[in-house]
Amino acid sequence: MPRITVDDVEIEVPAGRTLLQALDDVGLLMNGVEIPHYCWHPKLSIDGSCRLCQVEIQGMPKLQIACNTPVQEGMIVRTQSESVRRARAGVMELLLVNHPLDCPICDQAGECKLQDYAYDYGATESRTREPRRALEKNVELGPTIVFDQERCILCRRCVRFTREITGTGELAVLNRGDHSVIETYPGVPLDNAYSMNVADICPVGALTTRDFRFKIRVWFLNDVPGVCTGCSNGCNIDLGVANNKVYRYLPRRNDAVNDTWICDAGRMSYREIGAADRLKHPLVRASLGVPEVTSFASAINAAAARLERLVESKGAGVIAGLASPHATNEDLFTFRRLLSALGTETAGVAVPQGASDALLVKADKAANAAGARALGFADARTLLDRIRNGGVDGLIVMGHDVLDAAYLGGVDLLSKLDTLIVLDTHHSELERVAHVLLPVRVAAEKHGTLTNFAGRVQKVQPAVEPSWEALEDGDLLTRLGVALALPNWPARWDVRAVSRELAAAHPAFAGRDLGSLDNAGALLAESGRAASGAPA
Amino acid sequence: MVISAASREKIAAEIAKYPAPRGALLPALHIVHAEHGFVSPECAQELAELFAIRPFEVLEVVSFYNMFHATPQPRHQVRVCTNLPCSLRGGRELLRRLEAHLGVKTGEATADGRIRLGHEECLGACAYAPMMRVDQQYHEDLDVEKAKSILDGLD
Amino acid sequence: MLKAPYVTNYLTEHFGDDAFGTLAGYVKRGGYQAARKALTEMTPDSVIDLVKNAGLQGRGGAGFGTGLKWSFMPKQSDKPKFLVCNADESEPGSFKDRILMERGPHQILEGIVIAAFATGAVKTFLYVRGEYAFPADQVERAVAEAYAKGFLGKNILKSGFAHDVVVQRGAGAYICGEETGLLESLEGKKGQPRKKPPFPAQYGAFGMPTTVNNVETFSHVPHIINKGSEWFRTLGTEKSPGTTIFGVSGHVARPGLYELPLGTRLDEIIFEHAGGVPGGRKLKGVIPGGASMPILPAGQLDVPMANEFLRERKTMLGTGGIMVMDETTCMVRVACVISYFFRDESCGQCTQCREGTGWMHKIIERIERGAGQPDDIGILLDVASKMEGQTICAFSDAAAWPVQGLLRHFREDFEAHIRERKCPFPESFEL
Repeated sequence: MPRITVDDVEIEVPAGRTLLQALDDVGLLMNGVEIPHYCWHPKLSIDGSCRLCQVEIQGMPKLQIACNTPVQEGMIVRTQSESVRRARAGVMELLLVNHPLDCPICDQAGECKLQDYAYDYGATESRTREPRRALEKNVELGPTIVFDQERCILCRRCVRFTREITGTGELAVLNRGDHSVIETYPGVPLDNAYSMNVADICPVGALTTRDFRFKIRVWFLNDVPGVCTGCSNGCNIDLGVANNKVYRYLPRRNDAVNDTWICDAGRMSYREIGAADRLKHPLVRASLGVPEVTSFASAINAAAARLERLVESKGAGVIAGLASPHATNEDLFTFRRLLSALGTETAGVAVPQGASDALLVKADKAANAAGARALGFADARTLLDRIRNGGVDGLIVMGHDVLDAAYLGGVDLLSKLDTLIVLDTHHSELERVAHVLLPVRVAAEKHGTLTNFAGRVQKVQPAVEPSWEALEDGDLLTRLGVALALPNWPARWDVRAVSRELAAAHPAFAGRDLGSLDNAGALLAESGRAASGAPA
Repeated sequence: MVISAASREKIAAEIAKYPAPRGALLPALHIVHAEHGFVSPECAQELAELFAIRPFEVLEVVSFYNMFHATPQPRHQVRVCTNLPCSLRGGRELLRRLEAHLGVKTGEATADGRIRLGHEECLGACAYAPMMRVDQQYHEDLDVEKAKSILDGLD
Repeated sequence: MLKAPYVTNYLTEHFGDDAFGTLAGYVKRGGYQAARKALTEMTPDSVIDLVKNAGLQGRGGAGFGTGLKWSFMPKQSDKPKFLVCNADESEPGSFKDRILMERGPHQILEGIVIAAFATGAVKTFLYVRGEYAFPADQVERAVAEAYAKGFLGKNILKSGFAHDVVVQRGAGAYICGEETGLLESLEGKKGQPRKKPPFPAQYGAFGMPTTVNNVETFSHVPHIINKGSEWFRTLGTEKSPGTTIFGVSGHVARPGLYELPLGTRLDEIIFEHAGGVPGGRKLKGVIPGGASMPILPAGQLDVPMANEFLRERKTMLGTGGIMVMDETTCMVRVACVISYFFRDESCGQCTQCREGTGWMHKIIERIERGAGQPDDIGILLDVASKMEGQTICAFSDAAAWPVQGLLRHFREDFEAHIRERKCPFPESFEL
């Protein structure tokens, strides 16, 4: 590992890397060592054209671009010298020569690198008297992205993204010199499963998503770290929150999970949090007929009463649990504990299936399918067969994933059950046949951990608070256990305590409890990964 | 197929000269221009298939070079050099006089769509200024009358 | 076909003979003797040493030592090595490579064969600017002749050495004269120069070790092999040996090509060879080496045309394209023409170049229109300084230098425009 000196501080960096890459590798770039850059991006090829990352390297007569200069043992780098600052100021002034300076009406304002670096290095007023380039505005590059050619600084990150990451190549720079413009090919819009990432990597307001633009000024948003729940990849995100509402998901970098990307479907799944079809009230069906809205307490009591009656009449063996692959590890651990305390070990998990790709998207369309498997929930098909054979009379169901075409596709089988207790986040067909229906929270509304397809345990935390009554699954199940007067049952839900108990009960989770994890998450121990179904 | 068999044969011969097929893209674009005068979307599509690249990559290259066109061109391209050595010796005056002669502005084509009058950067005929390039042909040591008669002789 | 130079030396000695362009005519004048000598009597290292000792400098504009450049090619290489002959001559004021291709194509090919032997290259890509249709035709014809007679191909001059030459035509982009822009173009891409590292000698055309030399550079090589490095050093200056072909244009009585030793004084070339300024007018300024090079005023023409002397006057030899301007000339118009050119030809990658070329041109154009402001000159100088030495290739520098040179020596022209709010040179060339 070469040792280099950056601004008088000696550091050790990986060999065979360029200066920006090496500083990024050791976590110092823009986090102690400020080298502004536009065209360089950690997950794209080196372009070397914006020229903003120039630094002084002892022994070299000219400034060098840090993005393309290989690190060498003993290299002495200055990133804040007078000549460096002058060069940066020069680049900034030239970048602004043709820029429309329309920040007041630009949706990037507040998270614009042009604004940021102009503030850091630029002059306070423009010296140019010349007319600026007049180009196209509000160009719909495709279904998701709107392009403002005038604001583009031609860093070509978006072009490289479509060539190197998605391999779709919808974007190119046409012409040359100051006539250069980014375009799509006639009749071939920017339309791929990851298209919206170009808005994230665009350092200026040239590319914005049709979904987010003009919704809210970004300085009103609070970024809450979380995990996308669209599939089992568990892409790390920041949830952009204001006024108790999630306005967007942005990918949060995690090189072990999603690099800096997220798929469009996952990004748009934020809408499910505040969706109109969220389940907002506990419902109890007295007999056949319309379910009635009631309080949590009476709904839980009704559920307990039904379960107690079944245990008394037929024994606990006729009761089974269907776990949700969307619930947290803590929820699932509590569920498993509840079933055991009731006296049944019959349980399964239904994981909805969908398309996958080679980049991020996984076929398991739930965030904690691997966690459910690691905690011993087998695939639900065995359980469903048992129901078909009449071996189950009472079923506690978390979520409505079992309605996925890969499992039931409908509610017919469940309509014959004596007791069907459903904990769910959204309305579904299950409502027609459930005896007790209990609203629960989504991942963005609670603390907990999720295990992704590779066996990585990652934290979620509340970004918003539901404006209706909704409990965490584990909380609700704990209350149900209390109502059932289960032996050795905790009086109340404490997610951190449960997380610790989980880690104690399942050695693969040791050290992966809520209190121990950081925002990057941690892989399960190998036995846990094997149990979770993670690829070796 | 819009690119003829004969052109395809020439393109294949060019591809054989290069360590990577794409090396022959500029030669192929010249061949397509000789046949069609410009690179139509159909040509771009067919070239893309020949070179196993995207049509957009063909268009990108076309857009970078002055001699390639993505739109149909007039039959004749008249380009008067206006770089410094020619300007010093009347290149711009010649261009102005030819504008009047053809009744067009620089960059425009004649009403019959036959001739486009343009200016060009240095063509390497600096000592023989003023000069113009008509299609592939250089005409050097021009005066206005000589230039007019060359244009008048175009079909 | 271009007229033969008014003054000739070894490169252009036989350019008056139309047959010299043919293989038979070239061989009759002693052609391919040098290749035979190199391939059969010398080793690659001894060829490189000879060229190094001769002190041949690249004639494409940068003036880098040719032998040294060849020595950068890896001796051992698993990959095939390539040469590129840069025939993309596009520097305004330059037309020497054109005549070398039109009248001496075999001289170039012979230089290529020798260089290929010295560097172990298997193939040369000869990239001719697209507008040079006739010169390219001549080179292609010569290549075909050379293949037919065993001067190119599998077993050159029965020496066992093999080499191929592929001619590619550019398509109208000045930046393809920059060696890595050329490599990109050769690979069928936009001619946008590559960032370095890696350098072409490690990762060049199609990712293979590559050396790029100019047409004229190759043309000197056979003469050095034939007559030796000491002979070569008898011509030119100590640091800049040999001749070059100066192209003289603009306001002179006899514009044309002049093959003269490096170090020949600029005023001698203009007044003695090219006949001076016609019409009894006085000379105002001279650009000595193509549009990229800073101008010299009338009082500074007593300079030997070699980089070691020109550098003292803050300019360079470049391509040896000498553009002469008489006293009627408006230097703001000159700046306008040159800055337009660089704006038009910038590849558009680097910020400073893409934005700086356009900004400079717009300011200059406004000054010429009579709408200049007093601080415009300072802004121009500042923009030019920001464009210098900070980009992927030297194009940005080449765009900044002429403006800096014009402001260094003819600032008064700019100030007069701003003061009088119009162009005060009614006799100047039309814009």
